[in-house]
Amino acid sequence: MQYTDCALIMGANPAENHPISFRWLTKAKENGGKIISVDPRYTRTSSMSDIYAPLRSGTDIPFIGGMIKYALDNNLYHKEYVAKYTNASFIVKESFKFEDGLFSGYNADKRSYDKTQWAFEKDTEGNLVKDFSLEHPRSVFQLMKKHYSRYDVDTVVKVTGTPKEDLLKVYKAFCATGQVGKAGTIMYAMGTTQHTVGTQNVRAFAMIQLLLGNIGLPGGGVNAMRGESNVQGSTDFGLLYGNLTGYLNAPTSTDPLNATLAGHLEKETPKTGYWSNKPKFIVSLLKAWYGPNATAANEFAYQYLPKGNKNYSHMNLFKAMYDGTLEGAFLFGTNPVVGGPNAGKEKEALSNLKWLVAVDLWETETSAFWQTEAGSNPAKINTEVFLLPACSSYEKEGSISNSARWMQYRWQAIKPLGESKADLEIIHELATRIKGLYKNESGPKAEPINALYWNYGEGHHPDIDLVCKEINGYDVNTGKLIAGFGNLKDDGSTCSGNWIYCGFYPEEGKNRAKNRDKKDTGMSLYLNWSYAWPMNRRILYNRASCDPSGVPYNKEKAVVWYDAVQGKWTGVDVPDFVATRKPGDAGFEDPFIMMNDGVGGVFAPTLNDGPFPEHYEPFESPVQNPFSSQEINPAIQIFYGKFNERGFKADFPIVATTYRVSEHWQSGTMTRNQAWLSELVPYMYIEMSEELAKEKGIKNKDEVIVSSARGEVKAYAMVTKRFKPHKINGKNVHQIGMPWHFGYKGIATGETANRLTPHIGDANTTIPEYKAFLCDVRRA
Amino acid sequence: MATEYVKFVDVTKCDGCRACMVACKNWNDLPAEPQDFLGSAQSHTKTTADTWNVLQYIEHENSKGGLDYLFRHSACFHCTDAACEKVCPEDAISYTDFGTVVIDHEKCVGCGYCVNNCPFEVISLKEYVDKNGDKYRKANKCTMCTDRLEEGLQPACVTTCHTGAMQFGDKTAMIQKAEERVKQIKDRYPNAMVYNPQGVGGTHTVYVLAEKPSVYGLPENPKVPTSAVVWKDYAQPIGKMMIGATTMAVVGAFITNTIISKKKNGKNEDGGEHHE
Amino acid sequence: MSKPQKSTVKVKRFSKAFVWAHAVNAISFIALYITALPMYTEFFDWLYPVLGGPEGARLLHRIFAVAFITPTFIWVIFDFKGFKLWMKELVTWKKRDLEFFTEFVKELFGFNFKHVKQTFFNAGEKINSIIQIFTAILIIGSGFPMWFPEFFPRAVVQWGYLLHNVGFGLAIAVVVGHVYLSVIHKNSKPGYTGVITGEVPAWWAHEHYTEWYEEEVKKGNFPKLEDPHKPTSPDKKKKKGA
Repeated sequence: MQYTDCALIMGANPAENHPISFRWLTKAKENGGKIISVDPRYTRTSSMSDIYAPLRSGTDIPFIGGMIKYALDNNLYHKEYVAKYTNASFIVKESFKFEDGLFSGYNADKRSYDKTQWAFEKDTEGNLVKDFSLEHPRSVFQLMKKHYSRYDVDTVVKVTGTPKEDLLKVYKAFCATGQVGKAGTIMYAMGTTQHTVGTQNVRAFAMIQLLLGNIGLPGGGVNAMRGESNVQGSTDFGLLYGNLTGYLNAPTSTDPLNATLAGHLEKETPKTGYWSNKPKFIVSLLKAWYGPNATAANEFAYQYLPKGNKNYSHMNLFKAMYDGTLEGAFLFGTNPVVGGPNAGKEKEALSNLKWLVAVDLWETETSAFWQTEAGSNPAKINTEVFLLPACSSYEKEGSISNSARWMQYRWQAIKPLGESKADLEIIHELATRIKGLYKNESGPKAEPINALYWNYGEGHHPDIDLVCKEINGYDVNTGKLIAGFGNLKDDGSTCSGNWIYCGFYPEEGKNRAKNRDKKDTGMSLYLNWSYAWPMNRRILYNRASCDPSGVPYNKEKAVVWYDAVQGKWTGVDVPDFVATRKPGDAGFEDPFIMMNDGVGGVFAPTLNDGPFPEHYEPFESPVQNPFSSQEINPAIQIFYGKFNERGFKADFPIVATTYRVSEHWQSGTMTRNQAWLSELVPYMYIEMSEELAKEKGIKNKDEVIVSSARGEVKAYAMVTKRFKPHKINGKNVHQIGMPWHFGYKGIATGETANRLTPHIGDANTTIPEYKAFLCDVRRA
Repeated sequence: MATEYVKFVDVTKCDGCRACMVACKNWNDLPAEPQDFLGSAQSHTKTTADTWNVLQYIEHENSKGGLDYLFRHSACFHCTDAACEKVCPEDAISYTDFGTVVIDHEKCVGCGYCVNNCPFEVISLKEYVDKNGDKYRKANKCTMCTDRLEEGLQPACVTTCHTGAMQFGDKTAMIQKAEERVKQIKDRYPNAMVYNPQGVGGTHTVYVLAEKPSVYGLPENPKVPTSAVVWKDYAQPIGKMMIGATTMAVVGAFITNTIISKKKNGKNEDGGEHHE
Repeated sequence: MSKPQKSTVKVKRFSKAFVWAHAVNAISFIALYITALPMYTEFFDWLYPVLGGPEGARLLHRIFAVAFITPTFIWVIFDFKGFKLWMKELVTWKKRDLEFFTEFVKELFGFNFKHVKQTFFNAGEKINSIIQIFTAILIIGSGFPMWFPEFFPRAVVQWGYLLHNVGFGLAIAVVVGHVYLSVIHKNSKPGYTGVITGEVPAWWAHEHYTEWYEEEVKKGNFPKLEDPHKPTSPDKKKKKGA
């Protein structure tokens, strides 16, 4: 980040929520870099920026769509990069259409698309048809140009409410990084993702970055500011409901191909690109999980994997709970009664459980949902709640992975307090006891449990070193550790619990997550500090920092290059490329090795809601969509009934958004129980403009009530100049913001903002739309 | 002789994260003291006996008509000519070789003279309860972590500052850095200035401010209060002299009376008898 | 040293109210002085443990501060006439008052001097009174902002410290002399009983406050000192003290 020429911060507030990243932005500023902050509210990040532009929550796609148009119209894009390193030159099938907000292949009943209609055109031999001149009317480039021709500055300004001169200032400054040798980065967080168009918001960032040639180089990229220190690690390790580990898809029963391992592998494995090695990763994973019980004869125990047929996202799980179709739940360090969307309903849903196991450092609002203090009637709740005390990070050892994919080992600082246990230990005990219970049983329920290979040492404490070795992988016959995922096999001779991490523990006694060498190995990459997957690369797709012949676009900020003398790729970073590829070799000019086609996807025919980001209003919006008659994302799942009441402009004319503060973390469990942090932000408040306050007769420090279709929340009013009404289509649209950390437990208490938020999510990830909903405000 | 140090606070690099506040409480083992809702992000109106540094949040409409959101880590300035040291009747406040100004709790009697004379209003009294349940007071303020300095460490707030808004080092070098920094940021903040007030002989916390001191609630030209100077440099010495003089006069009178009486004894009786 | 020739006749000089007021004033002044001493100079730091630490000293100082304010009220309420006389005397200055001082210095150091005719209060007492009133105002006035700094502007508190100090310095200087004269100095010592019992030897009163004494004789309150051995009428004495 410190090497960036321009950082566009949008949907994020790193100065407040990711302060350490600001250390590097401060350095970038010292090096002459510009910082842009785009946010509905003038934040601490905005104050540290060179340019600030406000926008209404939920209008990121018009903002970036307009920037795409600006870059194309003004010839500011990186032409060689776009032509060679992206799919802009690909020709799309004639069946692809876009009309009035809908892409072709839409099924209104299912609210989903037939994505095959968006496929690329192939010749008779199955090769992609390309036009490097980018002139073909059905080339991705021309389709993109046409799509975003509708996002002219005046229309954008009408939707976003951004003052025109601010918008143009941002466009000009950021598009300047399209110049060869310049690097611009985009930093985003939940302000981008927590929308019904969250995935497409990020896609829009990816598109503009590909157009400006900003991916794969120092000071470039689309950087997700993670919401937790180990979000990266947990998603790497299969936290997401659709994933096994290492971003391998979990097999579902909805696709008949998944009935067998062979079918599953066939379905999952593309013919080209690095993912063509996928069977090696899947089989090695099965070997890690089922050990000797996974053999070629039994499809490496593939049949023991559960194969669901539903969407198992947070909201759907709570819907199932609400409907009474879910009996029990384990909640590890999660507090949905504060953090979940429409939290009042989530609390109601919990009371339908027969049992709930909560694993946490404190008794949270969730594990105490049945108590009178929570507004419940304990006599009427039959849920049996078990609270298991967990260790904090200082009481246990293990690794966390940050957003730069560094796997950093942390050692135990103090012994666990009281009876608290590390999560790993709790899982270990649970697994060994369950295995014990099923030991003498057979049948479909017992088999997967009996087959599970659980070999992490004797006793209550699992041997964490054995866990590490299994994650890395080893030769199952010799026990020798695998040096890297290139050596994994699909014949059952190797195991690896998470292929992307394979290589972090390449030989005995060499756990590279424990590396702590502070020496700068060049370009501040510190290759010997911790371990970054894959294979310790610090900048993904760094091949793209060089021109097609392998010469860095910016020689002063070179990280990898092709060394003609040695005949291979070299540099200060580990090349994210086949290092031995020579000019003239197939794929020498294709830098995006994880993409099937080796290039960056300007056009993404795999997403559920369209190959190009298109603007739809949030589920609840006070504004009509000027781009089409589709008001909301046509591909989102909608819950009806009491589980998800919807509010409209007439009753709730104010846009609301939630956010976090530096001093509190997530649902506040860890921080609202800490006196020094609690005193810094002791009360629930809402931020509003002086204009709105005047309209509503509210004074600073007054107590106010915020209401939405879902509930009401009492809070203090923080009247500030940092919020201004948005001018949307000539009219004032007010917006308020509030932290979502508060609950009634702990030292700093307050009412829960998420009682207001809706049960609606993104079309691809089902992430809830916390960041834009409707409300009203009145004096308490 | 230890080096004279300065804590250089560049408010234009501060992102208001308040880690300095927590680090201070952590190192100095200070309890939390939640206050009423202040209507802004600020947690405490000013420093207190248990909160030795406070991050100020200021919404300021600048001279260009734009909005600035300004932050300032506020704590003891460690003046070269410290009013608190001057007025302390117990010599409980002293200068260290590092240039810091520290309070000796062994000597402090909790009179509060320093509290009311500090031109920056950073000192506060704290009430304690001893073993017997008796209450007593002591003055408290930032020590610049003098205990850490003695161990070769830097102040806790500086160590934790992640944006480099705070630096700690040799006095001259730091002041030079501050002056250079002001030149760099004049475009963005035309009123930017180094705040190292000479009215108190310069301070050991030197700021680069983005705006005029008054925007931050700081005195433009702080000095040791004139009353304190008159009191400590004139009134008290003269007072002591006067007491000495009267006492001497009385003692002198006693002696002369005795001598004269003795001389007159035998001839006359009392001095007072024969004057009429 | 025996003085058989001296009359033992006593005359009423001060009312009970004055005696009380003076006593409260004197005791609280001394107490205030002692409780402040360790803060005033380190030489007296050993007093802290005696006084119950800084907190004890502060508490005592404040208790006596309240007491220190009361004498004026005691006198005004219970002997307004006496108070009025005092006030009147303080603003009445004549040539003999100035003469008094030159003689006083001689008397102070035990040299030969002559009594200048004085009224109820002699010039020395008047000066003492005026300075004490002045310093009391300074000390009390500045004491309030020191005690309750939260109710006063900072500048007032800061100047308060100075004025308290100045007032105290002046007051103590005067008090040292005052106490010396009343308790130790042989010429004024006989008058000491005046502030304890309200009565002083008639001969002494006559000598020091001739004009007043003679006036009282005229009124028939005091015996003529030509015959100092003649006892005074008890009821007349009482009259004055009522």
